[in-house]
Amino acid sequence: MSALTFAVLVTWGVITGIDLVSVLQSMVARPLVAATVAGALVGEPVTGVLVGMMLELYALEVLPVGGARYPDYGPAAVAATVAAAGGGPETLGVGVVVGLLVAEAGAWSIQVLRRWNTRRVRAAAVPLDAGDFRVIQRVQLAGIARDALRALLLTTTGLALAVAARRWWPVSPRAGVLLTAVLAGIGLGTAMLNGKRLAQGRRGLVWMSIGVAGGLGWLLLR
Amino acid sequence: MAAPPVTAFVRAFLRLLTVQACFNYERMIGVGLGYAIEPLLRALPGGRDGPGYREAMQRSTHYFNAHPYMVGLAAGAVARAEHDGVPGAQVERLRTALVGPLGAVGDRLIWAGTLPAASAVGLALSANTRAGIGAAALLALYNVPHLVLRVWGLVAGWRHGTALGRALAAPLLRGALTVVGPLAAGAVGFALPPVTARLVGPLDLAAWIAAAAGVGLAVVTLRFAAPRLGALRLALAAAATVALGAAL
Repeated sequence: MSALTFAVLVTWGVITGIDLVSVLQSMVARPLVAATVAGALVGEPVTGVLVGMMLELYALEVLPVGGARYPDYGPAAVAATVAAAGGGPETLGVGVVVGLLVAEAGAWSIQVLRRWNTRRVRAAAVPLDAGDFRVIQRVQLAGIARDALRALLLTTTGLALAVAARRWWPVSPRAGVLLTAVLAGIGLGTAMLNGKRLAQGRRGLVWMSIGVAGGLGWLLLR
Repeated sequence: MAAPPVTAFVRAFLRLLTVQACFNYERMIGVGLGYAIEPLLRALPGGRDGPGYREAMQRSTHYFNAHPYMVGLAAGAVARAEHDGVPGAQVERLRTALVGPLGAVGDRLIWAGTLPAASAVGLALSANTRAGIGAAALLALYNVPHLVLRVWGLVAGWRHGTALGRALAAPLLRGALTVVGPLAAGAVGFALPPVTARLVGPLDLAAWIAAAAGVGLAVVTLRFAAPRLGALRLALAAAATVALGAAL
């Protein structure tokens, strides 16, 4: 990987990282989007899409409500795409494992960031309660800078993990294909459970069944 | 009452896009709300040097939490209350009263509705079309309602002020809350066959069996055995098992 590609990937990882919570929340942080773009950046658009699809199935489980703990799939999808690039189904599972590990580290990093924010807000409590706008602005914008730093560290660590996994992964190509299949299965099972949960109860099951029938029809007719 | 100029609403809207930037465990997104609402308070009598602005800003960063896309409603309503000369204690009560409803409505409408629906359509299209179409569809399907909701929230909040309940009772919003869950469930169901075909279809029989085992493992574990484990950790545990088995 060239230095330029690395720099562009890190920049993309930071953009997806801050999009998750701090800025805009346009969902470029979704793994399907983040990995598709990362795939295009490394010249492997199809790998990017496949990695993105796999991780998106897992991301369907996440409800990022309030102060809940949730994974950061944006930088994770970037690292996962790099880990899976250059191979077929035998490396897709490796990429997904790297992505899931980085996403879990991302969940931890968000909690660290929030505790950091809490300390900064506590330190500025007096001017904040006095309504000093310059302090309000500084505290708020510094929050974006802290999140960008978090995303930078997460993406860089993820890319290092991706390179290491490609070099030292202890699984044969055959076992790699089985790993891909198992992870796809768990992702599909997760998506099934969450699809049903979305409309709750029997009604959810009915709507999901209608959807499945439509999907099967589309698959047969295409 | 001198209403804030349009530029103040544009500034407030842009700042609302970063409302969670300083999310913390003490005031949650209170600082973000204070930062966003400030342009709307500049038109209070006396401007930025007046007592109205000063007192409103003192209240602006206190504890607040809600769904980020619904905060515009609170920003508009609180700013309107300040302009209407509502007593400070009542403004504080308004903020507190909005926390629950704005969180619940936004979570149901967006996190448990629009987002999974857009994600599922993106998945289905990714399985069957050229690279990039699915991701682009996800972004488009998600961000049109997202941005419309944010703009509507700020405008409706300002229009209704302390009577914000009327905005939350709008027929379009109530209707959307009713249909969005089933729609998302249907969309996820629709995506499952093409995604399965794309991810597992090209593989051999042994891999099909492994994928079926993965589905069964997910359903049994996450539905019955250990619902709090989460799919991510289950997958990592399964991957570790496969890697260990291969190494041995």
